[in-house]
Amino acid sequence: MEESREKEVMEAALQAGHLLLENGAEISRVEETMERICRYYGVHSGNAFVLTNGIFVTVGNRNEPVFAKVEHIPVSGTHLDRVAAVNQLSREIEEGRYTIGQVSGRLDDIKRMPGKTKHMQVLASGCGSAAFCYLFGGNASDSAVAFTAGILLYLYVLYISGPHLSKIVGNISGGALVTAICILLFTAGIGDHLNFMVIGSIMPLIPGVPFTNSIRDIADGDYISGSVRMLDALLVFFCIAIGVGIGFSLIGGMMGGMLL
Amino acid sequence: MMPQVCAAMIGTVAFSLLFGVPRKYYPWCGVIGGAGWAVYVLASGRWGIVCSSFAATVVVIFLSRASAVINRCPVTIFLISGIFPLVPGAGIYWTVYYLVTDQLGLAVHTGYAAVKAAVAIVLGIVAVFELPQGMFAWIAGKLRQIPACCRRNGR
Repeated sequence: MEESREKEVMEAALQAGHLLLENGAEISRVEETMERICRYYGVHSGNAFVLTNGIFVTVGNRNEPVFAKVEHIPVSGTHLDRVAAVNQLSREIEEGRYTIGQVSGRLDDIKRMPGKTKHMQVLASGCGSAAFCYLFGGNASDSAVAFTAGILLYLYVLYISGPHLSKIVGNISGGALVTAICILLFTAGIGDHLNFMVIGSIMPLIPGVPFTNSIRDIADGDYISGSVRMLDALLVFFCIAIGVGIGFSLIGGMMGGMLL
Repeated sequence: MMPQVCAAMIGTVAFSLLFGVPRKYYPWCGVIGGAGWAVYVLASGRWGIVCSSFAATVVVIFLSRASAVINRCPVTIFLISGIFPLVPGAGIYWTVYYLVTDQLGLAVHTGYAAVKAAVAIVLGIVAVFELPQGMFAWIAGKLRQIPACCRRNGR
């Protein structure tokens, strides 16, 4: 087997792993997919070490030339459609439908898959907030306020906190923003239950993905990645709580504590 | 209870859109989220928050794994949005609310309940993931009558 082919296989495996990890797959799936790709294309000495924000691969033994690569993968948004697409691709590879050259082409296609448009996301955030407000005990007018707050919150997340602020500041200010909007609308006489309105509207900030993934990683024995993700989830939970607290103290304080 | 379950379904679908779940799986996510909440409401009439969170999580994960095998796609797709109504976001809110309003006893009480619910969810997830993949393949096989090719996907 010649050297360039080994390299090509490992690059493709690494790219598949990168896509999976970046878009919210759990560690064991990343490792398994990379191993499947290596095995199918006949690279037997491939080894991958996967963490939440990096992949380390090496290959090389007496028969196969040495190749090693480290890839840093910053934490970014969750796009489960890309995870599904890579999973589908790895199954099709095992069925023998692709040559190695075609695989990296397909992976590039998956990488360029369009996400949901921004206004769809904003609308979904509003609907989700309204639905959860109702779920936790609010009535229709509470849900209307939560809808508004959810929309404004996600506009803030997409255009201000996401691109410009750190996670900590972004979540604290997001929580405070939502609380402030709800309090303002509540004092303007819209909605009946301030608490349920705030609960519904903070839901888009809740770190469900890192929380669930961390549990699965720890259950699979990937303790380092699991604890990193758990720390991430707890940090975000904590920041939201601080944000809500700040919102209540500031605005509630300005209004002379009449809300609380 | 029915309107609540509908709200859970709408909320789950909205969040699955935020996480980029492919459009054809929205109904699956909605049903899983709704079922989880229905179990939670039914169980919380009888048991405490821990048992009902655990029962609801078990149902959500079980349905997610079954749907993953049936549709041959990663279980994460169904799992993350389906579990969302159960994650104790409300518990965190009440804890902060009581802290800010200087009701320390209630704050500790609700904070403790939120942590207990989170632990119950963790146990539920871990417990159902221990079930053998073959079992889900068997269920899917019964549903589709082609069991051999679905055994290797799922998880």
